[in-house]
Amino acid sequence: MKKILIVLAFLSFGSSYAGGYRVALQGQRMLGMAHAGLSVFKNAETAFFNPAGIAFLDKKLSVSFGVSGIMSHVKFQNEYYNWAYETDNPIGTPFYLNVAYQTSDNVSLGLAIYTPFGSSSVWNDWVGSDIVNDISMKVFYIQPSLTYKFSEMLSMSASLIMAYGEVSYNKNINRYLADEQGNKTNVQLESGMTGAAGYALSMAFKPSKNVSFGINYRSKVIIDAKYGKAEFNNVPAFLSDKLKTTAFSAELPMPAELGVGMSVKPIDKLLLAFDYNYTYWSVYKELRINFKNDLPTSVSAKNYKNTSTMRFGAEYQVNDKIFVRAGYYYDESPLTKDHFSPETPSLDSNNYTFGLGYQMKKWAIDFSLLYVDGKERTDYTYVNGEGPSAHRFGGTYVSNAIIPGIGFTYSIN
Amino acid sequence: MKKILYILTGLLLASSFVACEPEFSKPLSDDLYTSGDADFSKYVAVGNSLTAGYTNGTLYKSGQENSFPAILAEQMKLAGGGEFTQPYYEDDSKDIGGMVFNGSTVILDPKLIINLSAGAPERINETPTVDVMQVHPGPYNNMGVPGAKIFHLVAPGYGNLANLPLQKANPYFIRMASAPDKTIVEDVLAQQPTFFTFWIGGNDVLWYATSGGVGVDQNETGNLDPSTYGPNDITNVNVFAAIYSQIVDALTANGAKGVLATVPDVASLPYFTTIPYNPIPIEDQAQADALNAAYANYNGGIQQALAGGLITPDEADARTINFQLGANALVMTDEYLTDLSNLGLPSIRQATADDLVILPAKSVIGVAPDPNNPQLINGITIPLGDEWILSAHEVGQVRTATAGFNQTINTIAAIKDLPVADMAALMEDMKSGLVIEDGSMYTADYFNGTNLDNLTFSLDGVHPTSRGYAIIANKFIDVIEQKYGAKLPKVVPAQYPTFDILPSN
Repeated sequence: MKKILIVLAFLSFGSSYAGGYRVALQGQRMLGMAHAGLSVFKNAETAFFNPAGIAFLDKKLSVSFGVSGIMSHVKFQNEYYNWAYETDNPIGTPFYLNVAYQTSDNVSLGLAIYTPFGSSSVWNDWVGSDIVNDISMKVFYIQPSLTYKFSEMLSMSASLIMAYGEVSYNKNINRYLADEQGNKTNVQLESGMTGAAGYALSMAFKPSKNVSFGINYRSKVIIDAKYGKAEFNNVPAFLSDKLKTTAFSAELPMPAELGVGMSVKPIDKLLLAFDYNYTYWSVYKELRINFKNDLPTSVSAKNYKNTSTMRFGAEYQVNDKIFVRAGYYYDESPLTKDHFSPETPSLDSNNYTFGLGYQMKKWAIDFSLLYVDGKERTDYTYVNGEGPSAHRFGGTYVSNAIIPGIGFTYSIN
Repeated sequence: MKKILYILTGLLLASSFVACEPEFSKPLSDDLYTSGDADFSKYVAVGNSLTAGYTNGTLYKSGQENSFPAILAEQMKLAGGGEFTQPYYEDDSKDIGGMVFNGSTVILDPKLIINLSAGAPERINETPTVDVMQVHPGPYNNMGVPGAKIFHLVAPGYGNLANLPLQKANPYFIRMASAPDKTIVEDVLAQQPTFFTFWIGGNDVLWYATSGGVGVDQNETGNLDPSTYGPNDITNVNVFAAIYSQIVDALTANGAKGVLATVPDVASLPYFTTIPYNPIPIEDQAQADALNAAYANYNGGIQQALAGGLITPDEADARTINFQLGANALVMTDEYLTDLSNLGLPSIRQATADDLVILPAKSVIGVAPDPNNPQLINGITIPLGDEWILSAHEVGQVRTATAGFNQTINTIAAIKDLPVADMAALMEDMKSGLVIEDGSMYTADYFNGTNLDNLTFSLDGVHPTSRGYAIIANKFIDVIEQKYGAKLPKVVPAQYPTFDILPSN
């Protein structure tokens, strides 16, 4: 198990591009149609979207896995100070592995391993370095589920979520402090990989051959990093006995998410899906870092708000083998006014998806392409709490991301 | 199948290369910032230490790099501004300033730092490398010369090394003058500035003030010949007006535009406001009684002088020394009191809120200079000398002169249609608390230890930190924008230095 965790940790996760630090890339087939998978029960991807739907798969065993490549850009400018900077984010590669298995007519098992949250922002050598130089959050969930089919129309599922996360965060101490050589004093925070637990409940309802409904609730998970390590770099001599390597603790919440979805087949070859996701971001009130030595606790207010996401997806079956998909979704940023921080510069966004599937006998291969078009926003964040050095930082942000993905599915009876 | 794979792979690769970057609806562009009616192509800054970038008791390399004209010129470059040169300082290899004569003799001390093991500002324990003999002839765009008074700007020989021993030359100007016999103004005009800032007058009162009023107020003498002035004298207001007007005429003769700036009030400088007039706490009545007993003879003599009609009742009140429980005022020498020395009475009294104690007195007050006689304590049983306190009378002299200078500046500005940057008002705010655009507050709240990040004034108590100079540069930008319709970006003070803190010295 430990080995697996290490391997998983090595896969990089990518810039957050969905609201907050949510990364919605858990199945390439569904992603082609706006990631609207709550009521589409086609392959193992449903083990993530709605494990209750495993009961309605037409194969006994289905395994899906895939990976995406996130290429994201965030730009920042401020006319008052003539600031113009942009992120230099690494390409993120979130992955997933889903397994769906119908053990009997009524009972199914599912397993989903995925990266629901993550973010990576690299702002090199810029004016907001006292807020963030770079930050990377890696979170993955391992979610086994048990599904029971009550009738030909209704099934329900319960899942356990084992969450693992780590955060690495670097920022300067303030806007000026540097060592004797002029290198800015910064702190590197490493949370270490920390586990936490949650659950998911879901329901699938298929009143007819051409209509399906799905509901999925994934609980919040609070990742409580108790044994983080804070290291100070480029410390001037006069502070060397104050800014020493120390332990810290911090809590990072992964919000709960409720989704309801519906899909219909108006004609034989066309599938339309609609999902509504509600994410309980308001759980993220503040980021509080408690240092174990006598350094003052660092508190930055976040005051996230709950958000809605609307997803519209379509899939057209060209022939026995080829499927084309397209979708659109609107994603809200959970960041509230005056709490817009460049460590997670999440913008309201229009999202366009395209997909192509090729179905073989047992294998299927799915390509997806997501374009995230972040809406320009001028906003600020407040730094340093109270006192004379408290100040606001901000300007105008704009972002986009291009995210190609590839996934494979193996299904047998 | 293969074909589709190829096509898809191609598409995906293409998409990653295209990876179009996000665009702002109104991106920052070159034509966003403008000079308006002004022409920044040749900006020359004329002034004294405040223009040179002097901070922490000297001029040093990184301080000069953050002088307000250097900051301003950098912003002007976005709106047609040209190169901006400053006097040669590459030889300040330790970035400590100060100056030596001929390689060894220190003639100006290096910068002030905070020594954590001692807790107070002190000069860094290093020998300066900047040599007054190393002349790098200008002229330079930054024509700020530390120590210059108004009449020095037009004084021939002020940059001549031969005049240094006669105290008729300025070591800073010696190093930067284009030729030894050129005046500062000649070096300014030789550059044919299209734009200027002109900020002078501080030294014409401040030297008098920082010396604690040791000097002559030439407004009282009516002496109009500055060549006869001592270094700590207050310049006559009429002398100031005549030369100021002459310089502004010359600067604007070719249609150049610019900004004038007012002289700060003495009470807006922490040098005069950090040490209270009443720093002597007494918690024990016996202690107060003992001190009063020590002054009983003097107080008795004052009553005799009053009875004899030698002094007014007001003066007798002012001169009566009285210690009581709580915070007590310093005992000080005041040369403006009636001379009663023939009665054996010194000219002393207790300070009032109208007297300003200068910052260096911090290290003197409360000290017993004679280890064998701990009863004799500076400021209590030994009256504090005139050089440590600007007495109420002297404060009045300085204020009157400052007001006269500023009236001159405003009048000439109105005649010449030049804008005035009210640095007197700004520096008062910088001392008492200035909230800037980003919401942070800057003060001169020295020595409370918790607020080192937001200090506007450097350790010398008179000159701003580079952070303060950034605030001053922003103020000049405001004035330039208002008057000339220019648009320039501002700077963030917090990104500039304040002073060095060293574990030991």
